Amino acid sequence: MLRDKWRKGQGLSQPQAAAVLLFPFLAVYAAFLIYPFFMGVWISLHDWNLLAVAFNPGAKEFIGTENYVRTLWGRNIEWGLFASPVMQTVGVLGIGLAFLGYRQGRLTRATALAIGIAGALFVLLPGFYPGEDGRWYDRRFWPTVGNTILFVGLAVPGVTITALILAAALDGETRAKAILRTIFFLSQVLSVTVVTLIWQIMFSPRQGLIANVTEALGGSPIVWLTDQQFAMAAIVITTVWWSLGIAMILFLAGIQDISKDIYEAAAIDDARGIKAFWYITLPNLKRTITLVVVLQIILHFQVFGQSHLMTQGGPNDSTQVLVRYIYQTAFRDSELGKASAMAVFLFVIMGAFSLVQFVVGREED
Amino acid sequence: MHRSYYWLITALSLPAFVWLIPTIWMVSLSFQPNEVLARTTSTTAFGLIPLPFTTENYAALFSFGQTPMWFLNSAIVALGMTLGVLAVSTTAGYALARLEFPFKRAIMVLCLVGLMVPEQAVFIPLYTMFADLGWHNSYHALILPRMAVPIGVFLMMQFFRAIPRDIEEAARIDGVGWLQIFWYIMLPLARPAMMTLAILTFLYAWNDYLWPLVSAREPERFTITLGLASIQSNFAQSEGLGRVMASGVIASLPVVILFLMFQRYVVRAMTAGGTKG
Amino acid sequence: MKHLLIGTALGAMAVTGVSAQEVSLGRFFGACEDAGTDTTTSTGEACIIQSIINAADAELDGITVNTLPTDWGNYYDQIIAAYAGGEPPDIHVMHRHRVPQFAGLGALAELSGDLEAAGIDVSDWAPAALDAVSYNGGIYGVPMDFHANLWHVNMEIMAEAGLVNDDGTPILPSSPAELMEHAAMVEAATGHDYLAADFAQFPIGVRLVLSLMWQQGENIFTDDGTATIDTQAARNAVTTITQLFDAGHANPQLNYADSQQAFLNGEAAILVNGTWVVDFYNAEAANPDVALSDYYVADFPTLFAEGATWADSHMWAIPASVQRDDPETYAAALQVLAFINEHNIDWARTGHMAVRNSVLASEDYAGLPHRDEYTGTADIARDTPAAENYGAIQDVLNRELQAIWLTGKSIDDALSDAELEVQDLLDG
Repeated sequence: MLRDKWRKGQGLSQPQAAAVLLFPFLAVYAAFLIYPFFMGVWISLHDWNLLAVAFNPGAKEFIGTENYVRTLWGRNIEWGLFASPVMQTVGVLGIGLAFLGYRQGRLTRATALAIGIAGALFVLLPGFYPGEDGRWYDRRFWPTVGNTILFVGLAVPGVTITALILAAALDGETRAKAILRTIFFLSQVLSVTVVTLIWQIMFSPRQGLIANVTEALGGSPIVWLTDQQFAMAAIVITTVWWSLGIAMILFLAGIQDISKDIYEAAAIDDARGIKAFWYITLPNLKRTITLVVVLQIILHFQVFGQSHLMTQGGPNDSTQVLVRYIYQTAFRDSELGKASAMAVFLFVIMGAFSLVQFVVGREED
Repeated sequence: MHRSYYWLITALSLPAFVWLIPTIWMVSLSFQPNEVLARTTSTTAFGLIPLPFTTENYAALFSFGQTPMWFLNSAIVALGMTLGVLAVSTTAGYALARLEFPFKRAIMVLCLVGLMVPEQAVFIPLYTMFADLGWHNSYHALILPRMAVPIGVFLMMQFFRAIPRDIEEAARIDGVGWLQIFWYIMLPLARPAMMTLAILTFLYAWNDYLWPLVSAREPERFTITLGLASIQSNFAQSEGLGRVMASGVIASLPVVILFLMFQRYVVRAMTAGGTKG
Repeated sequence: MKHLLIGTALGAMAVTGVSAQEVSLGRFFGACEDAGTDTTTSTGEACIIQSIINAADAELDGITVNTLPTDWGNYYDQIIAAYAGGEPPDIHVMHRHRVPQFAGLGALAELSGDLEAAGIDVSDWAPAALDAVSYNGGIYGVPMDFHANLWHVNMEIMAEAGLVNDDGTPILPSSPAELMEHAAMVEAATGHDYLAADFAQFPIGVRLVLSLMWQQGENIFTDDGTATIDTQAARNAVTTITQLFDAGHANPQLNYADSQQAFLNGEAAILVNGTWVVDFYNAEAANPDVALSDYYVADFPTLFAEGATWADSHMWAIPASVQRDDPETYAAALQVLAFINEHNIDWARTGHMAVRNSVLASEDYAGLPHRDEYTGTADIARDTPAAENYGAIQDVLNRELQAIWLTGKSIDDALSDAELEVQDLLDG
């Protein structure tokens, strides 16, 4: 009986079998990813009002790259090396660090390349500014990109460092450690709306736990979500609390790959605890750290819920992030063309980081 | 060794407790009466102990709230998406890992490129596309886009590649067809990898926010994530903090239980998804 | 459990048996899940509107009303998305300031020919109400209220500060300078803030500034589409408010819920908020656990030349596609609108002003709590200026004003930036 069944399909050649097996995926892939992607690019080349086109399909107009110009560019834009000294200095430092790190063999090629490119962008992009009588066509876009980068710049190190320390401390087979690992991981499985629900009220100056404790200790509570100095911090804290788990697990896996012999050899030289962490764990985790960082960058560049639900991008746009701006441009302002242009911009950035991740992954193999 | 070990555990217990506080607080608030919460949230031990205690928030939720319906929708969408992703990923993953056919490299590169496209880069065209098809407000509108993400295919491909070829070759000599090898031999072997992919997909589906936000409009099709978002901006006005928190607890329970039951698989899923995705 | 299942099945059979016409209804106002069907006792916007909807569902034969819950923040995004997706709700609430955007595209059904047959008497609408739902000579909705910004007053604090007239009414300022004097008196007598409002989240601060600009006879843009925000009038309006912050008489960081809580806790003499909370605060003031006990509602005081307060209207509209393609649903939707129109008095219980002359003249209406305290509001109510993308304009203003009081941006910079951006939006 079983044999008969087996025989029946024997006639299929490898390519035929492959076609049958690949068809379902390729069909949904083409329909719901490839096609929409190119359609997005196409929309971005049009003046396309969501509502107007819905009532009159002919109401879209091909305008070439104008949406990109209207989003990214301005009138009388000039470039200067000292237009934004802080950001540009950071960029120069980044390039130097990448170069030195690579030369001394402390950084892998891909990592050095990524840091170098990021540094170059930091020197290049903030250098643009509107000159005499000039202006950005969209005055919110670059600040929004800046906020997104700031968010990434705070959340990624926050998550990575905390996760790394926890992973190093919690590596081991004991029951207590397993329980602690579970506790630190648990918040990772909550949905963004639950997380923002909890933290919105945690941060509330009247009902919030943080405010209540501060008051009990005699302090005056911080108005986290509507104070420009603290709103971004609040979102970052929420994010670290929420998304530490994956990073910790990845580090644990990385640590377990380090041969126990190295630690034993080091223990003879009296390198234990923090010393062992610094001289053995860290250097051996280089690739894992790079991977975690890149993954986190990709993940957090797409931040939406925290900003949308906790601060609505405020105060004064200080927590407005790229995806929320895309969402607003498309569904509040109905400007699908412009929103799509921004989405393409997002894709280019994410794509660059994905490429880095891919290259790093290959180096690892 | 032993003394430093206990020191470490003690030293980490405090941060672990702090880590748990927001969750404990949510659960505790959900068991306190709304009239009390409207005035103060820190009745007993900063509100971390639910005194005065009540279960009326949960009773209200289940007698006339929409939370149970949203819960069911989330379950349908998450299960549907999980099954869908498993179906397309195992088949395609096997074909790419083990079969030889024309354009194989091209197809693999094409899938690889797809990994770089974030959901946010395609949600606008997907929106207009589904609108033209009249598909919004349906389960399939919530399920289909995620099935097109190639990460599952890569996960399964990696797994199938690691299986020794002898098993297959023996079957081929016996005259077994490729589809049969896939169905009767490879799939059963792939169970752990499928479990991993299933959990990854389920968690993603349960927590997805942006796409349901633009696609689902009627409460009959709201997922719990979306429903929660829709009530949390109103908590000050009508619903009462306790009941909103109860909704949050209900929304989180399944994923927390799932996680605690399958912790080992989740950990493996994260590791696999992280390094190879 | 078994009984429940059988009950549900029978219920489903009953419903399909008479083939009820389902009407989907989109609204904001917040969720009220246990509103019941008693329209006369519910409290607060969310529960009153839901009780009216539930009653329509129960009392209108052959019609079931399915409420789509939508949170405030995403309401118009989702309505726009719904229209774009070709499946808008059969009825939805909207503000009058959105009429140009929606009616201009042909999204809304023109109702004037069908209202009378549905039992809606247009001649009973107050002239301003008819005006609110009219666009290019057509009627595009059924008005439900006028709402406006009011001053909600804690009389206990005012009395301590000596700011009460002999007749028991509060003494309110008549100029920006006097505003500061009163604020200092409250501070000296009680240590409390004079004024609280949501300056940090919803655009209530924008509405305040708008009112103060109108009081000087100015507006944020002209009829021919020129932004006029970087002006002396705007500066006067903004400094009227910022002087309170600078002197510590108001806290700009409170959002909607927090400012309301501050007022109910007796921590501020005045709360600037809309008509929609009068019944809620009235109920809270009666609660012995709530610090606010002597509650009064006042018209927005005139601090400059002429009286003006921000106002808008809620109205119900039907999509043009329903009228065109689906006569049965359209007829049912009109019946629901007629039902809501019938219950105008219940909706007015929130504190909103009614739109029907017969209701406005009724004793029931005059007898609503605190109603006699803000009768002047109808005369000073001013609409937000009509613009197709008012949502985006309001966002710009909200952002720049918050920049002034939350992040220390200079008033000059903020106003000139706001003018530039609003001009961009007006130019489209």
